[in-house]
Amino acid sequence: MKKQLRIKFLPYEKFRQNNINSVLKDLHENTIIIIDAKLNSDEEFFLIRETMKKVSDTFSGIELSSLEFKSKEKMNVLRKTLDTVKTGLLEKMIGKKRGMTIIGPADLVRKVKKNPEDVLLYV
Amino acid sequence: MGLAELRKRLASFLSSLFRKKKHIRIGLYGPVNSGKTTLANRISLDWLGEEMGKASVIPHETREIQMKENVIMKRGNKSLTFNLIDTPGIATKIDFENFLGFGLKKKEAKTRAKEATKGVIEAIKWLDNMDMVLVVLDSTLDPLNQVNITILGNLDARKIPVFIVANKVDLKNSSASRIRDAFPNYRTIGISAKNGFNLDELYDSLMKEL
Repeated sequence: MKKQLRIKFLPYEKFRQNNINSVLKDLHENTIIIIDAKLNSDEEFFLIRETMKKVSDTFSGIELSSLEFKSKEKMNVLRKTLDTVKTGLLEKMIGKKRGMTIIGPADLVRKVKKNPEDVLLYV
Repeated sequence: MGLAELRKRLASFLSSLFRKKKHIRIGLYGPVNSGKTTLANRISLDWLGEEMGKASVIPHETREIQMKENVIMKRGNKSLTFNLIDTPGIATKIDFENFLGFGLKKKEAKTRAKEATKGVIEAIKWLDNMDMVLVVLDSTLDPLNQVNITILGNLDARKIPVFIVANKVDLKNSSASRIRDAFPNYRTIGISAKNGFNLDELYDSLMKEL
């Protein structure tokens, strides 16, 4: 039987509220999850750890890639500092890192190619 | 600040001083098959005269934390004593079928995969115990993979000092500069753990840092 591919767009807030098991359940069911923020490093390790607990004969794990939006504009030191402070404050206010995260089941996503500014999934 | 809080801070400060002098823990972290155990063996052989673990081309050869205590490194008239900790490679996926290609039987492959998942969990748990980490990367591969980024991000968040070790520079298609370009904010040292190339620079850098 052919496997059906699903793509789920998940708000970061929902990702944080959800039990990690529900995310892993989606991944078990051939779903690629796209989150509208960059996960922080603790969340990434947590996701890897929980994934490892679920690895079985039918689920080999995940492919994970995250992007952080950073300004590439050329700036002097003062503007760069102000920009960093502004971004930091904004991220504190909205409670998430600007960027995106893509998580897919490793049995489905064969390869992830990450360039500094985009991510390619080979399914 | 109350007296109790002051006492607590002082105790914590003294304990950190003590830890720095007596129990420095240097961990080897990195993705699977980057040469962590080969480097651990090289360091252990250089300073203790014995190897630490078995290195192999089969992924996930190291599936448990390995530790050598009281490694004494001497450079000139200075010496540094530390515990060296080799960790299982960190991965986001472990497919038992990959092991079949290395001649393992199905049952062995499944056991290895199960042990490897536990190894990844252990490696992540141990990160908080490290005083310094050498992130060992295979310099023949694209460094911009998520495992590398996640390890470095976690070390940053925990403020643990890091050296990136660009391993396997003896191989034809290796490039330590590709790793330097990918992670410009980290100190990167190109070495070959297999033949010992540039290990002196690594030892000197460790000595300076610690």
